[in-house]
Amino acid sequence: MIIGLQIIALIFAFSMIYFVMLHYKRGEIGRSEIFSWVIMWAVAIVVIIFPELLRTFASTFLVTRVFDLMVIAGFILVISLVTSSYIRTKKLEKKLEEMVRHEALKKAKK
Amino acid sequence: MKIFIVIPFRNEEKHIGLVVKGVMKYKLPVVLVDDGSTDNSESKIKDVRPPNLTLLTHKINLGKGAAMKTGADYAISSGADAIIFMDGDNQHHPDDILKFIKPLESGKFDAVFGARNFNYGVPLIRFLGNKFASFILTMFFGIYISDALCGYKALTKKAYEKVRWETTGYGVETEIIARMGKAKLKFLEVPVRAIYHDKTKGVTILDAVGIMGEIIKWRFTI
Repeated sequence: MIIGLQIIALIFAFSMIYFVMLHYKRGEIGRSEIFSWVIMWAVAIVVIIFPELLRTFASTFLVTRVFDLMVIAGFILVISLVTSSYIRTKKLEKKLEEMVRHEALKKAKK
Repeated sequence: MKIFIVIPFRNEEKHIGLVVKGVMKYKLPVVLVDDGSTDNSESKIKDVRPPNLTLLTHKINLGKGAAMKTGADYAISSGADAIIFMDGDNQHHPDDILKFIKPLESGKFDAVFGARNFNYGVPLIRFLGNKFASFILTMFFGIYISDALCGYKALTKKAYEKVRWETTGYGVETEIIARMGKAKLKFLEVPVRAIYHDKTKGVTILDAVGIMGEIIKWRFTI
């Protein structure tokens, strides 16, 4: 039987698939990106509906409850996404700075 | 010795004309760096029509550190042997330029740092913040500069090449000191006057917290 928490998680997962599709239609993300995001959220939906599937993984990693395993996995995912997003932003900042400074030096007004 | 004056500024239509007029009498090449101004600063500069002046414009605001680096790179590529940095908000007295020129020309120092005196009107919070920054820099990099956050300073070409900074924002002043400490360059401090026209501009408490974080980062990265 699906409980309230699962319903909320399902609504969230389906909403994320909708937003991913939306960004794809707007041309903001590519085909490979939409594919990986949809796969990721589809796996999440399966796990939300059938959490017992993770029982074996949970016992392998000595985690008592499946819910705890999902929380740990969620944390790892969020931290890695934030880190990669931070590195990308820094790279973009650097490129932008170089471009603006180069342009300023090229168009010096005397 | 060919000395250039580099002045970064942003939205300083009230003061930039006065700053330019003030430095003109020394007949040194002046490099102004407009860091993404959205006001009439450029037309105020044109009104003064100074000779020996070059205006560099950042299309978007990058920060004080980036503007100083653009100006310094331009000066060095134009044959500068030393660069004097001044703020564009008219808080630094142009006549103090002489205090930088003499030690630079003596060849004894790689850098000259301006030090504002508390009696010249530095707000208490800035004075305490400066002292704290000086203390931390001494602890981490073994170099004591009494006014770590003062933007009035001079670097020789050799010093600039050794301390060329990465910071784009207000952390530039402390990064220069940190790199000076690491490179063990010779420096002198000279007293300068400062007038605060606009207390809402410049380093905020949030900037200060960010700068402290950066100092800790440089301890491990420089």
